[in-house]
Amino acid sequence: MTPHGKLTRRDLLVGRFRRAVEHARASNVASTESAQTKAVIQGRQCLAYRNLVCTTCYERCPEAGALVIDSGLPRVAADKCTGCAICRDVCPAPVNAVLMVGAKAEGGVR
Amino acid sequence: MELERREFVKLAAMSAAVGAASSMNAGKACAAPVDPPPAPDRPDIPGVQWDKAPCRFCGVGCHVQVGVKDGKVAAIAGDRQADVNKGLLCVKGYHVGMILYGEDRLTTPMVKRNGKLEPATWDEAIDVVARRIMKSGKKFGMYISGQSTVPEGYAAQKLVKGALANNHIEANARLCMASAVTGFLSTYGVDEPASCYDDLDACDTLIMWGNNPAEMHPVLFSRVVDRIARGEKIEIIDIGTRRTRTTDQADHYLEMRPHGDLAIANCLMQQLIENDTYDKAFVEKHCNFRADQDPRETAEALMDHDAYVAHVAKKGHSGLFGKPITFAQFKKLVSYYTPEKTEQLAGVPAEQLRMLAKVFADPKRRIVSMWCMGMNQHTAGTAVNNLVHGVHLLSGHWGRPGDGPQSLTGQPSACGTVREVGTLAHALPGGRLVAKQPHRAFCEKAWKLPAGHMNPKPGYHTVKMFEQLCTPTDAGGDIDTVWVQVTNPGQSLPNTKKLYKAKADLPDKFLIVSEVYPTASTELADVVLPAAMWVEKNGVYGNSERRTQQWFKMVDPPGDARDDCWQTLAVARRLFELGHPGLRGTDGKWLFTIEDENGDEIEYWKWENYYKINVDKHLFDEYRQFTFMKHKNVAPYDVLVKVRGLRWPVVETADGEFRETRWRFVEGDDVYVEKGRGFQFYHSTSKDDRAQVWFRPHHQPAELPDERHDFMLTTGRVLEHWHTGTMTMRIPQLRRAMPGAYVEMNPDDARERGISNGEVVAITTPRGEMRLPVWTNGRATPQRGHLFIPFFDESAQINDLTLDAIDPFSKQPDYKKSAAKVTRISEFAPPRQGGNP
Ligand code: SF4
Repeated sequence: MTPHGKLTRRDLLVGRFRRAVEHARASNVASTESAQTKAVIQGRQCLAYRNLVCTTCYERCPEAGALVIDSGLPRVAADKCTGCAICRDVCPAPVNAVLMVGAKAEGGVR
Repeated sequence: MELERREFVKLAAMSAAVGAASSMNAGKACAAPVDPPPAPDRPDIPGVQWDKAPCRFCGVGCHVQVGVKDGKVAAIAGDRQADVNKGLLCVKGYHVGMILYGEDRLTTPMVKRNGKLEPATWDEAIDVVARRIMKSGKKFGMYISGQSTVPEGYAAQKLVKGALANNHIEANARLCMASAVTGFLSTYGVDEPASCYDDLDACDTLIMWGNNPAEMHPVLFSRVVDRIARGEKIEIIDIGTRRTRTTDQADHYLEMRPHGDLAIANCLMQQLIENDTYDKAFVEKHCNFRADQDPRETAEALMDHDAYVAHVAKKGHSGLFGKPITFAQFKKLVSYYTPEKTEQLAGVPAEQLRMLAKVFADPKRRIVSMWCMGMNQHTAGTAVNNLVHGVHLLSGHWGRPGDGPQSLTGQPSACGTVREVGTLAHALPGGRLVAKQPHRAFCEKAWKLPAGHMNPKPGYHTVKMFEQLCTPTDAGGDIDTVWVQVTNPGQSLPNTKKLYKAKADLPDKFLIVSEVYPTASTELADVVLPAAMWVEKNGVYGNSERRTQQWFKMVDPPGDARDDCWQTLAVARRLFELGHPGLRGTDGKWLFTIEDENGDEIEYWKWENYYKINVDKHLFDEYRQFTFMKHKNVAPYDVLVKVRGLRWPVVETADGEFRETRWRFVEGDDVYVEKGRGFQFYHSTSKDDRAQVWFRPHHQPAELPDERHDFMLTTGRVLEHWHTGTMTMRIPQLRRAMPGAYVEMNPDDARERGISNGEVVAITTPRGEMRLPVWTNGRATPQRGHLFIPFFDESAQINDLTLDAIDPFSKQPDYKKSAAKVTRISEFAPPRQGGNP
């Protein structure tokens, strides 16, 4: 909370979607490794790639610019992704379209 | 694939590995998509049996393949043989199987004793319901749904309007489709779209009138996005009050004020006439002109707009079908709506209006207009439906593939069960009306009722029925019992505190609720009947494009839950046993008797026998005879079993096949059009095979922002949730993706008031207050001065705050326009010193 009682976007997420965020934070604390993981959208599972509108991951990502929508398709900006995995938690695709990969693998995944 | 397999089984959930290949990736004109592998027809999983069913959710009516393993729905796949969705599903559809497996399914009948709901046996519960209906007589009302199956609707209809001779039967489609119905009736003389989804594959321009199909009818919208992705040139024009995900795909966005649609449609007609670009040949052959009153009855031959509006205000309207007017009068009236005048009324720049008029002026373009709740939940809903049909008729953009008005439904069987079976207070099956003696006589004969048995007076429409329920008996509240099936009025009626929740203080009023989960509706129930849902029972649905779809029961309902249709029939049987005279036919038998080949009565009202025969088939084939009068012929049940739905009128060909109709009133496709006529509106209200082009003036919404309530509040759905969320909120993936309600606000409004994104504010309307977080950069952006709140969230029931004003013809409420105030919580109550915030 800011001194004026205003909520930041992050606070909104903490408030409304507390569980997902706490889970993500807890796992970040518990494992230094996970801090290095990044989200990757798998096009073959992603609903937006089927010409169905879906922007859930983008809407709920707490890091400005980490998830972008390009012509309707979500994409992770790896340099901004903190690895919090909220996008994975909220992805409504029948087979989850977000894969969390280790930082080392990052170069190999687009 | 291995991983996916495991995921499947573990979740006992939904397969998405199938479907969509046809619509994916087809050269999407954007960031390089990954090429998906071609999908199999349905996944081959050991021990899984597959069968077809329509999706349980929206009016698009996609078909799914349901995979059953060990008596449970274990997988869902898009049905590639289905024309509607060709293998694709939306996010809700892929998860549809999980609606059956929420943890809190209702499994035991409950009856209120000493103010508390207690478990009861089915025999007890059915007896309580039947005796209450006996006692209640004409004070009984039944409230069903556009999600009820056709046989459920037909059985309820026959029980209430037939046996009980009581016309208080309504369905929730009153809240969503009624203005479309009155629009069709007063334009073409018969309900339901003449066009079909194939038009989306052929149109050059798609116009959305207050419609957001990207979220609400996703698979349908993807048909168009697919074409764009393939490089086809389709112009999308979005007319609305907020920028949505649909707007993102649009070439033009016309942002209008609420009720601006009335002015815009009039303006298009003004332009077509002024520029002499209307289709004279089509109009001369196929159209008449119509209005509320005919000025020729007065001294003035031609009235100008304001004089006419004053004339109607004095005289009142002359009913749904209005009065004929001349083309000269029509021209004079619409001439008022110049682009400049319309800009003032609707807030849309004159230039954009001229652009849109040019689209309609081009005879070669194929134009589809699409609408749903934006035009229907409207206190001038009938009028604006008339006007949009009028624009298409006047411009001749009518009846060619890809060229015509397309009204969508929100529920899977609003058309099939409500509009076709006629489960509304004034209607009878197959387009018949309770007020018409020959129509009642037909039903009496078909149902073996004594002549003159049925009641000629229409019952109460939905808002009235619940108003009467919630009004104390001694203050004239003459509905004392309502039986609700397959819908959740406690959350979905407008102004729910007045129209539903007020029942809590009236101990002599009685609510029976058949439900699958605890809801806002069961909360006030005196009897709760646990129901089977979707593929736990047989069913037939009818979607937005006149497509009748059948499915079979695939799994058992949990615990003691039973089919809604069985519940209705068991009560009907109990009423017969209790000696209710209406349940005894002229042949002395129970009205719902089914006999075996030897003429012996089958005791199917006993649950253990219910599935020994196919009750759905008996009811559906009985209902079928009602569908011929208005040329809405549905196919026989056994034919529907074999197909992914058929669009009526379904006609039997010389070789005994059944053929569907894609475009009604169009020669060559609709067999009821006489040769050489081209188009023939054979149910015309003017009895001359013509459609009516209406003049309907612009007027303001029932509630407007003022100093106290300075915002306009709109409500609606979101992609992930279906209606009141009773099903979709129990699907973890969907709940996680969209966990709760919020209020969408224009960022500039928020900034001006110092409200930040995520801040919880108080929303107040004249009906109450609610606290919600603000979302300024969400899925949609309302125009300045507007708010949007979705209605799916049980913990934030926004309909406690909505207005219950209705359209004068359709009696459909307008959920979209309530005046509201936004207050920062800090302004309201200063934070306690030193305490927690
Ligand atoms: S919710 Fe509607 S669009 Fe989505 S799969 Fe079901 S029928 Fe199709």
